[in-house]
Amino acid sequence: MEPVQPVMDRPILAHAILNENEGRWNGSNTQYRWDGEGWVGTDYDKLWIKSEGTLQSNGMLEDGEHQFLYDRAITTYFDLQGGLRSDIDSRRTRNWAALGIQGLAPYFFDLELTGYASGEGHLAAKLEASYDLLLTQRLILQPQVEIDLYSKADPARLTGAGFADIDTGLRLRYEFSRNFAPYIGVVYEGQFGQTASYAKRAGESTGDFRFAFGVRIWF
Amino acid sequence: MTGPVFTRRRLLRAAAATSALTLAPSPLRSALAAPSRAPLLSGTEFQLEIGAMPVNVTGRPVTGSGINGQIPAPILRWREGDTVALAVTNRLSEPSSIHWHGIRTPSPMDGVPGLSFAGIAPGETFVYRFPVHQSGTYWYHSHSGFQEQTGVYGPIVIVPKGGYAQGFDRDYVVMLSDWSNENPDTIVSNLKFQSDYYNFGQRTLGTFLEDAQRRGLADTVADRLEWGKMRMSPTDILDVSGATYTYLLNGQPPGANWTALFRPGERVRLRFINASSMSIFDVRIEDLPMTVVQADGNDVVPVIVDEFRISVAETYDVIVRPTADRAYTIFAQAEDRTGYARGTLAPRPGMAAAIPSMDSRPLRTMTDMGMGGMEHGEMPGMELSPEGKRLEGQVGVDNVAMMPTERLNHAGEGLPTGRRALTYADLRSFKPESDPRPPSHEITLHLTGNMERFIWGFDGKKFSEAEPIMLQRGERVRFVLINDSMMEHPIHLHGLWSELDNGQGEYRPYKHTINVKPGEKLSYLVTADVPGRWAYHCHLLYHMESGMFREVRVL
Amino acid sequence: MIALLCRSLLIGLVPIAFNACVSPGPASTEQEAAVPLGVDLGGSGPVAADTVPTEDHTASPTHVRQMQMAHEGHNDAHGTGTVNAVDPAQHKVNMSHAPIPEIGWPAMTMEFPVAPSVDLKAIKPGMSVNFTIEQQPGGMYEIRVIAPSGGGR
Repeated sequence: MEPVQPVMDRPILAHAILNENEGRWNGSNTQYRWDGEGWVGTDYDKLWIKSEGTLQSNGMLEDGEHQFLYDRAITTYFDLQGGLRSDIDSRRTRNWAALGIQGLAPYFFDLELTGYASGEGHLAAKLEASYDLLLTQRLILQPQVEIDLYSKADPARLTGAGFADIDTGLRLRYEFSRNFAPYIGVVYEGQFGQTASYAKRAGESTGDFRFAFGVRIWF
Repeated sequence: MTGPVFTRRRLLRAAAATSALTLAPSPLRSALAAPSRAPLLSGTEFQLEIGAMPVNVTGRPVTGSGINGQIPAPILRWREGDTVALAVTNRLSEPSSIHWHGIRTPSPMDGVPGLSFAGIAPGETFVYRFPVHQSGTYWYHSHSGFQEQTGVYGPIVIVPKGGYAQGFDRDYVVMLSDWSNENPDTIVSNLKFQSDYYNFGQRTLGTFLEDAQRRGLADTVADRLEWGKMRMSPTDILDVSGATYTYLLNGQPPGANWTALFRPGERVRLRFINASSMSIFDVRIEDLPMTVVQADGNDVVPVIVDEFRISVAETYDVIVRPTADRAYTIFAQAEDRTGYARGTLAPRPGMAAAIPSMDSRPLRTMTDMGMGGMEHGEMPGMELSPEGKRLEGQVGVDNVAMMPTERLNHAGEGLPTGRRALTYADLRSFKPESDPRPPSHEITLHLTGNMERFIWGFDGKKFSEAEPIMLQRGERVRFVLINDSMMEHPIHLHGLWSELDNGQGEYRPYKHTINVKPGEKLSYLVTADVPGRWAYHCHLLYHMESGMFREVRVL
Repeated sequence: MIALLCRSLLIGLVPIAFNACVSPGPASTEQEAAVPLGVDLGGSGPVAADTVPTEDHTASPTHVRQMQMAHEGHNDAHGTGTVNAVDPAQHKVNMSHAPIPEIGWPAMTMEFPVAPSVDLKAIKPGMSVNFTIEQQPGGMYEIRVIAPSGGGR
C-alpha cells in the first residue's frame, strides 16, 4: 500500500461543458444545436470527449461529429490531442484519426485546431475559435467561429473539397452562476464552393441566419 | 422484584466505576473523560476531539469540522518551560492530524502525515508530548486534506517565563478566517476548470471606458494589449474571494459584532492570527493606532502603525490604548476587497462603531510580473537567468520574473498612502541572532505556478515530482526565494526558524511564515538545528494541495 | 449507596467547575442579547524588570551541544522506556521513552516501526525496556534492539 503523502497533488477530476445548447430559429423553422466537450484526468493527462450536431426541424441529424481523444498538456497554455473522430448523423458515417492542439492563445482567444485523416485517404481540418468579451462581470458577449476544410469531396455527406462550411455566432450570455448561463444570439451557418453546390442540388439553403437562444452549462 | 434491584445494582456499579475513574492515574482519566467545551484550555494536559459539527454562518446550515465542538478551536494556553501533553482524538470519518504552527517540536510531534507520522486514523487517539521552549502567539490546525478550511484551527498563547516586556491590562485573541459553504474539493475543481471562477472584479467594457476617459484611449489600448499578450489579468488578487467566502473574526461573521471589552485608558493586547485558507487581510482599527510588539510569536521592537497586512498563517500582536468611552471597529478587509471580517472594541457590550467602507481593489503591476523598474514594452537587453530559461514555457509555469525586485520596505499594493502601514523592513528583533555563523551555502527556489491550469509548485515542479531538500544537522543555510508568479505566497517552513534578512542585520526578525510578494526576491537564514522531515510549503491551502509543497530533510 | 453516588458525581463535577472558572466573563455585568464577547486572557502582570524579553530561539537545552557536535556518521541511539502497546501485525511498538540526548530528543510517547529481525513475542505492554533505534534512509527511526530492562514494575 502506498505510504500516506502529506499532500495529494495529482487529483483525477472530471468536467463537461455545453458551449452551445440552443434552439435556432430562422423565422420559419427551428433547429436544435449542441456543441460540448468533457474530460476526465489529471493536470497532465486527460481523456476527452467532444460532440456536436444539429437536429433539423424535419428530424434529420446533421453535422454530427464526435471525437474521443487522449490529451496531454505540452506547454503553459496548450494541449496536444490525438484520437478518433466519428461523423455519425443521418448521413453516411465516416471515421477519422485526429491530431490537434487546443488551448488559450495570446489575447485570450480560445483556440482548437485539429487535423484529420480517414481510412480512404481523405484529409480534413477544423478550426474553432472564440473570445469572451466581458460587458459587465456577468454579461458576456462571445463571438465564435468554426470552419471545416476537406481535401476531397464526400457527396454522401454533402461535403465538397476545400473550404466546406462555417458555423459562426455572436452570443450574449448572463452568468447567473459560472455553471449556468442562459444566452441569446445570432448565428450563421453557411457552405462554400463545392459544398454549396451539393447543398443547392439537394434543395437545401447554402447560408442561413438564425436567432439562437439557449443555456450554457457546465459541471 | 428483579426490575428495580437490577437497575439499582447497575447504578451502584456505575457509581463505583466513576469513583474508580476519579482515582485513576491522570492520563487514563483524561483519556476517558469528555473533552471540555470551554473556549480556553490551560495547563499541561489537554484533550482535543476533532469531529464533524453543524455550522451556520450565512443562514444556511451546513456541516463543518471542529475541535471540541467549536470553531475556532479552544485557545490553548501554555507556559514557556512546561512540557505539554495533548491527546487528540479523531472522530471524523477520514484521517486527521494537528500541526502546532510555529512551535518547535521534535519532528515526530510536528503533525504532518507522511513526514512526521502516519496521521490519526478515524477513531484513534494520538498523544502529542513535547517541551515548550518559546513564548508568544501561535496557532494549531489540521494538516490533513482541507480540514483547515472546514474549521479545524485554533489559537495558542504561550506565557513567557520571564514576564512580558510591555505591560497590558487586557488580552484578546483575534483569529481571522474564511468560511465557505461549498465543499473545498469543489472549490479546487472549479478553479482547475475555470481559474477565474471566483473573480467578479475583472476588467470589462465598463472599466475599459473608464480607463480610456482617465488615461486616454491609446494608453488604455496599449495596457490591455500588454496584459492580453501575456494572457494574464491584473485583477487576479486572490484565487477564492468573497463570492463564496464569508470572512470571520473569532468564528463570527461581520454582522455578529464580536466584541472585546475594555475600560477607557487601559492597554489592550490584540493577538491577530490569520487562520484562513486563502485570504490575506489588511487590518486596521479606525481612529486607533496600533503598536506592533510581536510578529510570528517573536517580540519585535515596537512599531506604531495605522494598518498592517497579515498573510495566511502569520500572527501579529499589537497593543492599543483606547482612551475614549466609545466603541472602535476592528476592520480586516480581504486584499481583493470582496469582503471583510469585523469586530468591536467597546467599553460595554452591545456598542458598535461605524464600519469603514472597503478601499478600492488593487491592480497588479508590471513590477508584480517581475519586470520591476522596466518601462512597459521595453526589454533593455535583459536576459532570463539559465534557471529562468529552463522554467519558461513549462506546463506548470506561466511567468518567469525577468527582474525580481527586493521590496521588503513596501507594505504591498492596495494600501492607501494616507495611512502608516507595516512593512517587513520595520520588524527588528530585540535580541541579536542566536547563531552568528554566516550561511554555508544558498538554496534558491522559484515560486511558480500556472494560474490558468491552477497548478502550483517550486521551480515548476509539484511535490510529487520533486526531491526533498537535504540539510545537514547543525548547518546554517540561506534560502533565496524568487516569486515568478503574480500572487503573494506565504511560505512556511516547519520546525526551524526563518530569519528574514530585512536590513536589520543581526537583529533580523525570526519568522515561521514569510509572505513573498509577486515578482519579489527575498532571502532568509535557517539554522537546521532539529533533525527530521519538515514540511515546507505555501500556506495558501489550495496552492499547497495543488503541489506547492516540499520536504526539507535535516539529517 | 446514594452517598457513594453523590460523592462520585461531585468529584466528577469538579473539573467542569474548574474549567468554567478559568474562562472569565467580561468586567461588565450588562449582557446584550447574543453579542459574542471575547475571552479576556488577563493582563500582563508585573512587567519584567529586565525589559528585554527572554525569547529563546533555540529548540531545546541540548541545542547548543547539538550544533557543536559534528555529525559523526553514526545514526543510531540508545534509550530506555515503557512499552504502551505492541502491534505484532504491523510490527510496531508504542513506547513512552526517556530523553535521548544523543539525537536531541526529549521524553516522548510515540510509535516506532521495528526491524523485521526483531522478535516481539517477549515484549509486553507495561514492560520497562532498553532499546536501540537507528535512523532509516527515509528519516524515520526504527527499533533495532529491544529487551526488558530487568527492573520490572
